[in-house]
Amino acid sequence: MYWEIELEKLERKNLEHLQVERLNKTLRQAGNSPCYGRIPEISRFIKSGMTSIEQIRELPFTTKEDLRRDFPWGFLATDKKDVVRLHSSSGTTGNPVAVYHNRHDLDSWANLMARSLFAAGVRETDVFQNICGYGLFTGGLGFQYGVEKLGCLSIPAGAGNSPRQIKLMRDFGTTVAHAIPSYLGRLFDVFREEGLDPRQDTQLHTLVIGAEPHTEEHRQRIEEMFGVKAYNSFGLSEMNGPGVAFECTEQNGLHVWEDAYVLEIIDPVTLQPVADGDVGELVMTTLDRQAMPIIRYRTRDLTRILPGQCPCGRTHRRIDRISGRSDDMFIIKGCNVFPMQIEGVLMKLPEVGDDYRITLETIGDQDEMIVEVEVKKEWFRGDLAFLDKLQRHITHLIRDEVLVRPRIKLVEPGSIPKAEGKAVRVHDHRQKG
Amino acid sequence: MTYQVSIFLENKLGRLEKVTAVLKEAGINIRSIHLNHTANGWGILNLVVSNPELAHQRLNESGMSAALREIAVVKMADKPGGLDELLQDVVKAGVNFTNAYGRVVNDGESAFFVIDIQDIPGAREKLVDVGLEIIADRQVYGN
Repeated sequence: MYWEIELEKLERKNLEHLQVERLNKTLRQAGNSPCYGRIPEISRFIKSGMTSIEQIRELPFTTKEDLRRDFPWGFLATDKKDVVRLHSSSGTTGNPVAVYHNRHDLDSWANLMARSLFAAGVRETDVFQNICGYGLFTGGLGFQYGVEKLGCLSIPAGAGNSPRQIKLMRDFGTTVAHAIPSYLGRLFDVFREEGLDPRQDTQLHTLVIGAEPHTEEHRQRIEEMFGVKAYNSFGLSEMNGPGVAFECTEQNGLHVWEDAYVLEIIDPVTLQPVADGDVGELVMTTLDRQAMPIIRYRTRDLTRILPGQCPCGRTHRRIDRISGRSDDMFIIKGCNVFPMQIEGVLMKLPEVGDDYRITLETIGDQDEMIVEVEVKKEWFRGDLAFLDKLQRHITHLIRDEVLVRPRIKLVEPGSIPKAEGKAVRVHDHRQKG
Repeated sequence: MTYQVSIFLENKLGRLEKVTAVLKEAGINIRSIHLNHTANGWGILNLVVSNPELAHQRLNESGMSAALREIAVVKMADKPGGLDELLQDVVKAGVNFTNAYGRVVNDGESAFFVIDIQDIPGAREKLVDVGLEIIADRQVYGN
């Protein structure tokens, strides 16, 4: 039932004591990095030591902008020679965010990942197919190491190529798979096209779904299609990646591993903590990372703490599924997209007008990003071929920037409302579930 | 030189009518109409009108994307095989076009074939060289 019973069922008092101890250690480690080393509050607590976990509120927040500004080495808290891996976010505009891991960090992450999967009922007897991009994206290697640590037979299938995914499942008797929720609808269609029913023709009993927000209804649809239990996984590369918070077999909220992270929910406007049960922005601090500790990271993800004890017996608190973003970033097909990235691409093209509009829609089983673009009058020459080429050109440029293929819609000049002040550029009409 | 007006149109209710309203207001007569639609939600409307320069100006003034494109209007017989005969000559002339459309003038006698030659260098001369009859502007525009 438990991967590490003594830690997972640790009494709250002792868990908080452990957090304070690890937080003090983390602050001392973070102080080695150029960026945290120059923050007076951190220096003060390194000297005096924290005595209660609430004192963390006296420390400043860390934002994505901070991590970008001091890219690439500003937050590195260890000698570069000890770093064994980095992961990085997508994007070619401006600096990405890079996160570094030493051997200890990778082992700690793999252990959290194994603990998460174990809580969702995955065992060493399972055959685990990871349908997820490997590389800089954390969903590939993050799961891989955890699955190996747990002792499953792992199939590092990578993303896409549905017929091959199905063949792997059938050849090797896959019992557990990990994928982004929007992909599973497509995979199911391919099963049907091949005259197969995943409920009858595979041995799947569990799916792990994450990396993009989805509703309870969406989960239930996936469970119905595949005849499995589907568990929600939450993570972000700044906090390692997957394995930060995970559903147990109760399927009611995601346990945040509080021996590895300090969990806070704040009001994104006042920056003050909200009451348990109220929705706010998730703020997290690493407690077991050496190469790159991150303190009070504003994730911009909106969620709430689920009050009360989970029947599973774990004392680590649960958060609700992510309900939105406190900034304008959106997630589509597992990729984080900022409207500014798209604007950056469009504004480099002389043929394109200043106004644009992004619409997110569910078409069939797929979420699609539609970008409406105005073609400037002076560039219009009246021929189809030019516009067709322009449309394909914009599609490729945006695809290269945000890693998601958009549907570009060329529209008549003046048909998109002018941006005034804080214009809403993104219209999310995706079916919630 | 003969011109058509080409207009960018989104595939939305009322967009075509917006164009015809502007032309009506300007007292411009539409001689021929041809609509190209793509799978991407937009298309291009090609119009032969009584005054292409004025139509171009008025449409642009009312916020639309319009462009003048050079065309060659070729006469053909209004009978079975009429277009085939004409195309044999066009092939001989070596003119490879991507946009063309036809219009009957006098039922049973003659018809016009409109070829977009904006991006085909020397097309008009080549068509004349193989003996095709290019219709004069006056007749095309109906002035």
